[in-house]
Amino acid sequence: MVKIENLIKNYGDFRLDVSMEILEGRVTGIVGKNGAGKSTIIKAILGLIRPDGGKVTIGGKDIAQLTVADKEKMGVALSDSGFSSYLSAEDIIRILRKMYRFFDESFFRAYCSQQRLPMNKPLKDFSTGMKAKIRVLTAISHRADLLIMDEPTAGLDVEARNDILDLLREYLSKNDNGSILLTSHISTDLEGLCDDIYLINDGRVILHEDTDAILGRYGILKVDGKAYDSLDKSYIIGTKKTAFGYTCFTNEKQFYLENYPGIVIENGSIDDLILMMTGD
Amino acid sequence: MSGLLEKDLRLTVKRKQTLVIFVFMALIMGISTEGTFIIGYLVMLGIILAIGSISYDEYDNGFAFLMTLPVKRKTYVLEKYLFCAGMSAVSWIVAVIVSFVLETVRGNAVSLAEELPMMLMIVPMMMTMAAIMIPLQLRFGAEKSRIVLFVIFGAVIAGSFFMKRLVTPEESSLQRLAMKLEGLSPALGLAVSFGICLVLCSISYLCSVKVMERKEF
Repeated sequence: MVKIENLIKNYGDFRLDVSMEILEGRVTGIVGKNGAGKSTIIKAILGLIRPDGGKVTIGGKDIAQLTVADKEKMGVALSDSGFSSYLSAEDIIRILRKMYRFFDESFFRAYCSQQRLPMNKPLKDFSTGMKAKIRVLTAISHRADLLIMDEPTAGLDVEARNDILDLLREYLSKNDNGSILLTSHISTDLEGLCDDIYLINDGRVILHEDTDAILGRYGILKVDGKAYDSLDKSYIIGTKKTAFGYTCFTNEKQFYLENYPGIVIENGSIDDLILMMTGD
Repeated sequence: MSGLLEKDLRLTVKRKQTLVIFVFMALIMGISTEGTFIIGYLVMLGIILAIGSISYDEYDNGFAFLMTLPVKRKTYVLEKYLFCAGMSAVSWIVAVIVSFVLETVRGNAVSLAEELPMMLMIVPMMMTMAAIMIPLQLRFGAEKSRIVLFVIFGAVIAGSFFMKRLVTPEESSLQRLAMKLEGLSPALGLAVSFGICLVLCSISYLCSVKVMERKEF
C-alpha cells in the first residue's frame, strides 16, 4: 500500500534515512522518542515536505503523481493540524460533503450524537479529547483505504484514548483491506492495534517486527554482574547497567528461559523496546 | 474546489462582528460622502475579508491538514483568486445598491448608466491589489506580508518620485499612455482595465502556484 525507499530528509544536523512498507490490510505503527523522525515520515508520505532523496509510493504511484481521486481514498489525522478552530462540526459536515464523494454523513452525525459532540460550537471551545475525536472521525468517514494518523491519542485521558481506538477498530471492521499507519508513543495503544511496529531512532529504522513477536518472543532479563558475565549474549539486543546489575533485552526469551532457569525473565513490551533500544 | 469555497464562506460568515462593523462603516461613509467613494471602500473591505481566509488557513498550522484533503495545491490557489473575485463582486453589488438608495434619498438624479463605468472601474483596481497581496501572503504569511507590502509600496512611491525628477512630462511614455486612456470611450477604457487586471491576476496566480508548490508544511 505504502512503500518508502531510502527516504532522506535533512534538517540541519538531523538526517532522516528510512525505508519501510505498509502492507494492505495491516495496521503499522511507528514508535520512537520525540524528535526521532516519526512526524517527518508522515509528512513525507503526505507530500507535505520535499524529500532530499528516495521515493515514496502509495498504491504503486509516486506521491507527486497522486490524483484528487487517489487522495480521496486517504484519511488523515494530524496531531497539530486540522480544520480551522473557528469552524463547528456542522460546518465540517458541509465541507466534507463537498470534498468527498463517499462522505458518510449519517455515520458522522451518529457518532457526534453518540459522543455528545456539540454540532454548532466552534472547535476552539471543544476539549482536547473532542477535538481528537473530530479529527479521527473526519479521516474515517469517507471510505478511505488508507488511514494515516500522527499521534491520534496524544494528550488524551484513558477514556478518550479508548474512544479513539474504538473508532479505528470500527474502521477496520468495516474495511477488510483498509490499512492504517499510526505514530504513537503510548505503547498500549500500539500493542492493542498494530500488526507490526517500526522503531525509529535518530532518523533511522532500528527495528521492524510483528507486534505479536515483540510481545511473545522479546523479554527482559534482570541479572547481577556475575550472571551477566556468564550469559550467552547471542540474543541480547540491548543492555543497560542498573544499580543491581544489568537489564538485558532479548529477542529470544525462550532461549534464556530454557538455558538459564535461575534468572529473572519478564515479558517484553513496546515501552521496553523503546527504552532498551533507544536509551542512551 | 467547492469544498474550499464552502470553508471560506463559512469562515467569512463567522466574522459577524467584522461584517457588522464593515456595513456600519459603509452606511456612515455613504451618508457622509458623496459619489463613488463607498464603492471603493466596500469592495476593498470585501477583498480584505477574502484574503483574510488565508490567515485562517495558516492559523494553528492549518495548511498542513488542508493540503492532505483531495485538492491540488494549484486548486487551492485558484480558489483564493475566485473567492476574492466573488467577494469583490458581491461587495460591489451591495455598495452600488446602498449608493443608489442614498443618492435617491438625497434627491440627486442618479443616472446609473452614466456612473456605471466609473463604478465598475473600481473592481479591476481592487482585484489588482488582491493580485499583489495573495502571493505575498502565501509566501510570507499574514504578519510578514504586511511588512513586505509596505516596503513594496514605499519602493514604488520612491521610484515614481525619482522617475518624475528624471523624466520631463513630454518624454514620459507613461503619461502619454495615461492621456491616451483618458481619451478612450468609457466602455473601451473599462475593457482595457479589466484586460490589464486579468493579465496581472494571471501572472500573480502563476507566482502563487509556484510559492505553494515549493512550500513545506
